[in-house]
Amino acid sequence: MKIAVLVKQVPGSESVLPINEGQSWINEDPVTFVMNPPDNFALEEALLIKERKGEGEVVVVSMGPNRVQKVIREGLAKGGDRGIHIEEDEPIETDPLVIAKRFAAVLKDENFDLVLTGLQSDDTGMGQTGVLLGEILGMPTATLAIETDIQGESIRLKRELESGWFQWVQFPLPASVSIQSGLNTPRYPSLKGIMGAKKKEIKTVLGSELDASSRSQSIDKVFVSQTSKQTEVIDGDVDVAVQRIAEILRSEIKVV
Amino acid sequence: MDSITFSFIEKLVLAGLTLAALSSFSYEVYRRMVIVLQGTGTLPLDRFSERLIRVFREVILHEKVIRERPWPGIMHALVFWGFLVFGIITLDHFSMGFYKPILSHSAHTTYSYIVIPFSILVIFGILSLTYRRFITRPKALGKISITSGVVALFIVILMVTYLIGEMNISPLLWKVNWWIHSIVILAFLFLIPRSKHLHLVLGPFNIFFKPFDQPEHTPVHIDLEGDEDELDAMLTDLTKLTQNQALDIFSCVECGRCTDVCPANRGGGILDPKNHFILDLRQPILNNKDVAVLDQINVEAGWECTTCQACTEVCPVGNHVEKSDEIRRLEVLVEGRVPQEYQKLFTNLQETGNTEGASSSDFADSLPVFTPDMEYVLWLGCFARHGLDPNFNRSVENFTKILDTAGISYGVLEQEHCSGDPANRLGDKLTYTMLREHNMEQLAETKKVVTLCPHCAVNLGKEYEKYDTVNYTVEHHTQVVGRLIEEGKIKVQMGENGKVTYHDPCNLSRMLDIVEEPRTAIRSASTSFQEMEENGRNTLCCGAGGALWWKKETKGRTHLVRAEQVIESGADTVVTGCNFCYGMMKQGLGPMTPEGKEEVVVKDVADIIAENLA
Amino acid sequence: MNILVVLEDNQGSLHRLSREAVAGAQKLGGSVTALAIGKNAGSLASELSSYELEEILTVEHDLLSSYSADGYSEVVTQVIQSKSPKTIVVGHTYQTRDFMPRVSAKLDIPFIPDIISLSDEGFVKQVLNAKLNASVSSESDQIILSFQSAAFNDEEMITGSSAITPFDVELDVSSVRSTSEEPFQEAAGDVDLENAELLVSVGRGIEKEENVHLAFDLAEVIGAEVSASRPVVDSGWVDSFRQVGSSGHNVAPKLYFSLGVSGAIQHVVGMKGSKNIIAINKDPEAPIFELSDYAIVGDVLEIVPKLIEALKN
Repeated sequence: MKIAVLVKQVPGSESVLPINEGQSWINEDPVTFVMNPPDNFALEEALLIKERKGEGEVVVVSMGPNRVQKVIREGLAKGGDRGIHIEEDEPIETDPLVIAKRFAAVLKDENFDLVLTGLQSDDTGMGQTGVLLGEILGMPTATLAIETDIQGESIRLKRELESGWFQWVQFPLPASVSIQSGLNTPRYPSLKGIMGAKKKEIKTVLGSELDASSRSQSIDKVFVSQTSKQTEVIDGDVDVAVQRIAEILRSEIKVV
Repeated sequence: MDSITFSFIEKLVLAGLTLAALSSFSYEVYRRMVIVLQGTGTLPLDRFSERLIRVFREVILHEKVIRERPWPGIMHALVFWGFLVFGIITLDHFSMGFYKPILSHSAHTTYSYIVIPFSILVIFGILSLTYRRFITRPKALGKISITSGVVALFIVILMVTYLIGEMNISPLLWKVNWWIHSIVILAFLFLIPRSKHLHLVLGPFNIFFKPFDQPEHTPVHIDLEGDEDELDAMLTDLTKLTQNQALDIFSCVECGRCTDVCPANRGGGILDPKNHFILDLRQPILNNKDVAVLDQINVEAGWECTTCQACTEVCPVGNHVEKSDEIRRLEVLVEGRVPQEYQKLFTNLQETGNTEGASSSDFADSLPVFTPDMEYVLWLGCFARHGLDPNFNRSVENFTKILDTAGISYGVLEQEHCSGDPANRLGDKLTYTMLREHNMEQLAETKKVVTLCPHCAVNLGKEYEKYDTVNYTVEHHTQVVGRLIEEGKIKVQMGENGKVTYHDPCNLSRMLDIVEEPRTAIRSASTSFQEMEENGRNTLCCGAGGALWWKKETKGRTHLVRAEQVIESGADTVVTGCNFCYGMMKQGLGPMTPEGKEEVVVKDVADIIAENLA
Repeated sequence: MNILVVLEDNQGSLHRLSREAVAGAQKLGGSVTALAIGKNAGSLASELSSYELEEILTVEHDLLSSYSADGYSEVVTQVIQSKSPKTIVVGHTYQTRDFMPRVSAKLDIPFIPDIISLSDEGFVKQVLNAKLNASVSSESDQIILSFQSAAFNDEEMITGSSAITPFDVELDVSSVRSTSEEPFQEAAGDVDLENAELLVSVGRGIEKEENVHLAFDLAEVIGAEVSASRPVVDSGWVDSFRQVGSSGHNVAPKLYFSLGVSGAIQHVVGMKGSKNIIAINKDPEAPIFELSDYAIVGDVLEIVPKLIEALKN
């Protein structure tokens, strides 16, 4: 059973995020990078599937500049068998279609049974890579899997729907599935894993050589959101307050 | 009874039984010692005379046994002293059976004036203890122990048969009585090594070998560039008990004092140090004849431990009870099984060198930078650097005010990383190594360090020393403050703080043995200082130790137990000497304060002194 | 036709986010066509018949009796190929994220997701865990957009009239590779506070354990989860997994409605990223008010029961 897990390296949730001079993205120099937390769940799921089957290969794939080798190593330290680094120069690609095409080019010939991705990335948050990739490779797709069950040549999985609803779906392998966060408890790399990871293979390919599609969407500018916090004070009569709150909930925040 | 003689057959039988009992006893002790010697490390012989004195105080004087549980302690002391007194009587008794008595008739009579009262005291003692164990049944003693009942019975029989032997009765009765006494002694010999009564033999040795420092855990040296075989060997060794730990397991008396004082247990957790850290391992080492059993410690219990060392402090037979370090390091380094909230903590430490994942510290930036001409490095610690309780930053500022008043120069290290206490106590020795190596570099030019965080103080000094030579001294701020007051370098006037009490932080009192200096400081500033219960080295941990500050979703009420005690003490202000205790007190006092009562004010030693500087 | 809005079925009626998508499409300007798919297509379509739309297409087919990514993406693809809209718009939901990227890849049309507003420079979406906003644009002939909840107001849908037209699609068994079972509900075990959209948070101002149910009642009415500050958890009034703060969860929901929470720093660090903060507290100096959008100085025990009544009506 051959499983590919796509992991992305993103700024940590506590990291500083200073906007760069051209305001085109953030200045990455002071940023602390981590493995995209949703991808951690996908990686853990891949390792669990391999362990349940008793055999298989988990390949950790990531796209980005040199620094992303760190998260590939992390994946290998946790139990991944080998890695693939799609190298690109900064600034990194943000068009989901271009990204997906590059991944597809690298994964195509390896004939993976299963491609797992996290729900979305903590940086651009486009949330499409796994599904786009599945379509390009001709695979059935599903998102928000909270339970997976490989049954021979097909996969049965539980999807999370909104408001506490769930649904089981089944389709044949090979397939591309995106994993909902929280479905498992990601492991920590053991000391042996960390040492062993140094010896595992990471193959590097140049992203630009994989696919020459031009960008069809771009992030032009980033900026701090302009909401100035104006506190509306409501005091006085209980009934007046209740009416105002109900109005806020209905019309302004729209939860009812 | 000089006229009594023993026939050849009797002597033969006696010899046979005695040989059997002695062989059995020796064999059982021997095979346990073989297991002990398979442990890693060696049994310490340093500070020899100090160790001897300690044995004298704790064994002969029974200091700790009595102090922790006065009435049962004294009862046990009676039985023990009786045991000592009976030593020569027993030898005399057996000698009589084989050949002739050791004591002359007059010596025997004179000595009996001591022995007879003692035998009555022993009976009194053992009966009180039996009543406590079988009728009162305190929880700490656990299930009914048949062995204890048998031992109690034996002791009573021995005392009674001794007394009968001193009476004038018919030779036949006397002989029968003599044999009963002998058989009970031999049966006792048979029983001792197979039960917790082995403490009779091992106790004094275990107390002799007890580490002087707490906590005492084998350092884990990790070389990332090293050989894979070396790493494998090191990881396998992590499951092995040290010789001292193995001796502990055979010395345990099952009294349950460790569980009684454990803050995790008292807070409603499952951790039961007596079983989880000691007795659970006894059958495995006996069965396997091997000491590689640390992986059998209950993992859930292991994560609950606050590493406060209350269990180690209270053990009357000198056990270093706590073993959370051992099981946690196995879970982290070997299994990669780490609770999620700690994974984030470790990642933060690795990526940013602090527990919060922050890239800078405004608070650190507001303080002077250390240059080698300054007297002290003021070590902030993650709690203060990253505002884990922003109120505490004021306490740090108060301390700098005190230093300024005394004309002492200090600065902070720009590249200060976490001392590593959370990683160290949670078993992530790899992250600990990274942090330690970084900090040692930063401290290369440093001679003196002062910190407000006892956890940092313990690590920067004692713990780092286990791995490397440390060229600086580490002081806790209360030591500095206490000394400045005593030397008159700062003047403190009495202030109005109402009733003031002090909560001893576990890292400060038990690990660093700093108990007096904070009190010196507080007494100089308050008119009405009162001790609260469980103070000094017997303090009850606030619940934040062992990196539990970062544990989300705690099921226990550990931090509330101590807060309750603070409220019950009737104090208006509680002073403490640790940022974690400060934060925990602030969080715990709120919910525990009964309606209508004012919430107890929490202060650090630095606060109460700075507020009252003359 | 300029803009195609793909509608979503929420248990037989039109999903609120689809209505908002229509409002957004109408704001973009041009003529708007809606597309309803599946067994309820007819009734979904009729919900829009009194709004200003060019037409409402309905697609029904045996193979579409239940949702599938294969089926829906194939339908949308065929509609796009037939009608050539410049812009395809959906609400950003779990379902549209499941099949719209398939359309994007099939037709090589860029998909800009989770848009919160329109600006002169482009589409605005949040990035980096909503810490920053980004302006995204495309030079492509066609684009797919999804709008975040409440980016547009469904009350601003332009009324008028529209015709309902069935649309035929070509589907065969090989087009739909998945089989699905009936959706079902499950009681949430340990609630995932960090992903909850709405939170009602209870603090010590609730005064007694007997009053805590008010938070749960209010939460039920607005479809929120319940969280709490540490003292409430410590007192044993709610389960510890509901704790928010430095020693609890870190949350940033769309709505954080706090009842009797003072706003102590250890609590605030766990919720200050919340998008809308409503706070009720007796104390006008309560620190929580400093970061609230709406500050109600009053008694939680008086206000909440009445609020629940008002919301039920």
